[in-house]
Amino acid sequence: MSERIILEQAANKTVYREGSRIVKEFTASHPMSGVLNEAYIHACVEDAGVPVPRLLGVTPSENGGWSIAMEYVSGKTLQELMDENPEKIDEYLEKLVDIQLETGRYRVPNLRNTRQKMIDAIQSLAEIDASTRYELLQRVHGMAQHTKLCHGDLVPSNIVLREDGSYCILDWAHASAGNAGADAAITYLKFSLDRPELAEKYLRLFCRKADMAIQYVQTWMPVVAAQQLTKHREAEKELLEKWISVAEYQ
Amino acid sequence: MAEKKTDKTLTPVEQLEAKFAVMRAAQREFGKYSQEQVDQIFQAAAMAANKARIPLAKMAVEETGMGVVEDKVIKNHYAAEYIYNAYRNARTCGVIEEDAAYGIKKIAEPIGLVAAVIPTTNPTSTAIFKTLICLKTRNAILISPHPRAKKCTIEAARIVYEAAVKAGAPKDIIGWIDEPSLELTNKVMKEADIILATGGPGMVRAAYSSGKPALGVGAGNVPAIIDSSADIRLAVNSIIHSKTFDNGMICASEQSVTALADVYDAVKAEFERRGCYFLKGKEIEKVGNTVIINGGVNAKIVGQSAYNIAKLAGVKVPEKTKILIGEVTSTDISEPFAHEKLSPVLAMYRAETFEQALDMSEQLLMDGGPGHTASLFIDPAEKEKMAEHARRMHACRIVVNTPSSHGGIGDLYNFRLTPSLTLGCGSWGGNSVSHNVGAFDLLNIKTVAERRENMLWLRLPEKVYFKRGCMPVALDELGNVMHKKKAFIVTDTFLYKNGYVKPIEDKLNSMGIQHSCFWDVAPDPTLQCALEGVKQMRSFEPDVIIALGGGSPMDAAKIMWVLYEHPDANFEDMAMDFMDIRKRIYTYPEMGKKAYFVAIPTSSGTGSEVTPFAIITDAETGTKWPLADYELMPNMAIVDVDNMMNQPKGLTAASGIDVMTHALEAYVSVMASDMTDGIALKATKLVFDNLPDAYNLGAKAPKAREHMAMASTLAGEAFANAFLGVNHSMAHKLGAYHHIPHGVANALILTYVMRYNASEVPTKMGTFPQYEYPHALERYCDVARYNGLVGKDDRETFDMLIDKIEELKKTIGIPASIQEYGVKEEDFLATLDEMTENAFNDQCTGANPRYPLMSEIRQLYLLAYYGKPTKEAEKI
Repeated sequence: MSERIILEQAANKTVYREGSRIVKEFTASHPMSGVLNEAYIHACVEDAGVPVPRLLGVTPSENGGWSIAMEYVSGKTLQELMDENPEKIDEYLEKLVDIQLETGRYRVPNLRNTRQKMIDAIQSLAEIDASTRYELLQRVHGMAQHTKLCHGDLVPSNIVLREDGSYCILDWAHASAGNAGADAAITYLKFSLDRPELAEKYLRLFCRKADMAIQYVQTWMPVVAAQQLTKHREAEKELLEKWISVAEYQ
Repeated sequence: MAEKKTDKTLTPVEQLEAKFAVMRAAQREFGKYSQEQVDQIFQAAAMAANKARIPLAKMAVEETGMGVVEDKVIKNHYAAEYIYNAYRNARTCGVIEEDAAYGIKKIAEPIGLVAAVIPTTNPTSTAIFKTLICLKTRNAILISPHPRAKKCTIEAARIVYEAAVKAGAPKDIIGWIDEPSLELTNKVMKEADIILATGGPGMVRAAYSSGKPALGVGAGNVPAIIDSSADIRLAVNSIIHSKTFDNGMICASEQSVTALADVYDAVKAEFERRGCYFLKGKEIEKVGNTVIINGGVNAKIVGQSAYNIAKLAGVKVPEKTKILIGEVTSTDISEPFAHEKLSPVLAMYRAETFEQALDMSEQLLMDGGPGHTASLFIDPAEKEKMAEHARRMHACRIVVNTPSSHGGIGDLYNFRLTPSLTLGCGSWGGNSVSHNVGAFDLLNIKTVAERRENMLWLRLPEKVYFKRGCMPVALDELGNVMHKKKAFIVTDTFLYKNGYVKPIEDKLNSMGIQHSCFWDVAPDPTLQCALEGVKQMRSFEPDVIIALGGGSPMDAAKIMWVLYEHPDANFEDMAMDFMDIRKRIYTYPEMGKKAYFVAIPTSSGTGSEVTPFAIITDAETGTKWPLADYELMPNMAIVDVDNMMNQPKGLTAASGIDVMTHALEAYVSVMASDMTDGIALKATKLVFDNLPDAYNLGAKAPKAREHMAMASTLAGEAFANAFLGVNHSMAHKLGAYHHIPHGVANALILTYVMRYNASEVPTKMGTFPQYEYPHALERYCDVARYNGLVGKDDRETFDMLIDKIEELKKTIGIPASIQEYGVKEEDFLATLDEMTENAFNDQCTGANPRYPLMSEIRQLYLLAYYGKPTKEAEKI
């Protein structure tokens, strides 16, 4: 038995490496359906041929919760590479955008639709008033129904680059089938929260490479901000509320 | 009470469904109202809305926290009074237009249930506007208010509703959702018959995707240009007036002003003098980032005062500041000031040239408000610049020297733009309409079109001289009445050598008219020959052209006439087939400006002296151009049998039977009319009675010759107006492919085509309103009876006519079949399919009483080739 190396310790889960396996061990309080759902999405995406770590098993763990085991992928995350080689930031951003666009070419029909996910998130938000929810819902309803694979949290730390140049995408818990513009809006939001100096650059690069109007991605921003608000992170609240408070032109 | 209890047990969706049912019932009732009843209701509703304009304005500002009460009063006033005024006399019920001459009637019907989505920026005025235009058009309207403005929206609707019902409108004709939710709004849009969606792009997109027809409108980002020539004081104060109106919430409000460099400072000074604040340094960024978030407008600043917005951005400005102006340079969307701001915040740009100002405006428009509105301040004398601006802007409203908020909604600063609070942005803005939406968009117009017959006319040469010896008399007119100076004669070598031109030349000489002659026209005249002739014509410069001969010299002369008058004429265009000569695509050049055209026939056959037709062949390509237009009609025809006495026998036979074919086809044509019928009948009789003698005795039967001359011209007049049929279509191709004289080719197929046409159950009949049912048989029988042939019934009468024609053919030596004429079987069969298709496509086919299938033409050719009994054509 290999030694367990703890990689991440969060309130609801512990992620550790055990030899050639990575295990996500959820606490007993984390709903079983959530774990199985995450494993299911992962399996769907893997079946579709998307480069992801191989799923090895879903098992009950000793703590009374459930664990997901998958293959360990050797290499460095884009985040690590960006931190180590700040002079190469542009190159890595481009890599991120390329991977995002490639991901969008996959079709994984069993996934939930992005619009519906957003609608559910908005409807669950008690923090914002009913009129604002109405406007946000109206905005989502007005968006076209697409079926591109969206990772839902495609940030540099979720992409591993192997030595041979190939890549692998981690953490599919938030994936859905829907609009690339929404996926880009999420990545842009994450940059705005963590690395605001890269946000604008990312957005322009994405829109140029995707041949997409910036306005289209921007239309999603109040929506993805509302979705992010469901995570109730105090530090993000001010920015998210500002993003949400956008009037529809009329 | 009981009713209320029931309501409470229903879900909101069930309640809405119940509402649809009662509203639809109300609308069905309303649909029966007369214009007078509707107009009374419309007026009462408008009056009530107008009376409530101040309380409604107060409610709207209080509930939404946006805008200016006094300006909202104007909007409500406008929505009631201007909308009423625009449609007070408009007919919107029942027959609204009628044209008895054309048999056209337009009937206005309501659409049914209208779903109305009302925005927060103009809640009460938009509700008044939409309910009024629905009342005027007998529609029911179900309003889905915005939750932020539901109280005032519903109140406005209620006031209109109650007044309407009091004036006689059915109960429940106006309805609303009390507690708006997206689920209900979407349900309303799916259930309604049409959606009047005023709102944000999300709402409009949702409306369009509901599957119901939607009148949606879009965002604006109005760029204003102040040209160097503009009246700056008027320009700046117009913009201030418009931009501060209801704190800048009208979608047609200016978002940027681009001043030309040479007036920039003066513009700026005027803005400052009138209380606008120019943001300095960091203030621009502060306000920009407060107003625009991720390319969208901050909900907190919409419809707020300039002072409040500055305060929110941490910028200190005088409390009475009218507009916050940011002097910026970028028109890219990364610049917050380049966006629509829904508030008294304005971008100001400097342009070095008018061209640059257009580029900037166009970018602002396309990025932020495609298809909405653009504004220009300019000296109205600068027509070119104004035209260029109008050409460049992708805007459905372009307002000039006008406050755009007031200008765009119409009827305030201009008086022919439809007053409306729903402004279409065309396909550029993703809309179905590009105009200001109004009552007429809420009607289904039924057009009742009664059958009418085509207008017909009778076209003949200005003068037709006839009777033996008329030629010198007619020519006399050229000199002594018309005072022509130079005559150009076109004829063929035979006629020239045999002295036929001499009497004409002598007469011209006696009158002192100079003349020149082109005598080199060969049968089946070519374009090359015509070009040769026209060269001579151009150097001679005649003021009269005299065509002397059979069909060929007359056709060649007509072509020379065209080329002489219009050297650039394109034969390909002129030869383009048409379905109706009056609707043809190509317009013929006007003829007769240089020369008067006189036609003198020397054979009794083609009738070309009185027809608007000519056929010319391009010898290089072999293409035949059949030209047909009344411009080609000769001005004068001289039918003098003295020129025809010595026609050879073969010509007499071929051209004589051609005359018969002309008369018969013109008589059974779908375009035959009372004007042509008598002429055609007379021609058939003259041919039956005189062709045998003319053929057998020639010049020894001068009376027969004279009658045949008359018959030829009469038949020409008939088919010049009633046209021909498939007999000619087939003969044209048969003649061309197998070198058979035109008249003989006609004769070889004539009786087959007659039997084919006479079918009482044709596969398809000809298309022409005058042609009411297949009646070729009756028409042939008319001809028979006119010629004294009466059988026991139509069939027998028709058979007698066929027999008489067969007899005539025999008498004048027409072979019994195409084969007998000498066309080899293998040659005939090799060309059969091509001939068939070309015959079908011939210009003459369209007037045939029976619309032929190509397979039928093919069968007719085969029957005629082998000389089968003509009865077999009846089986086709």
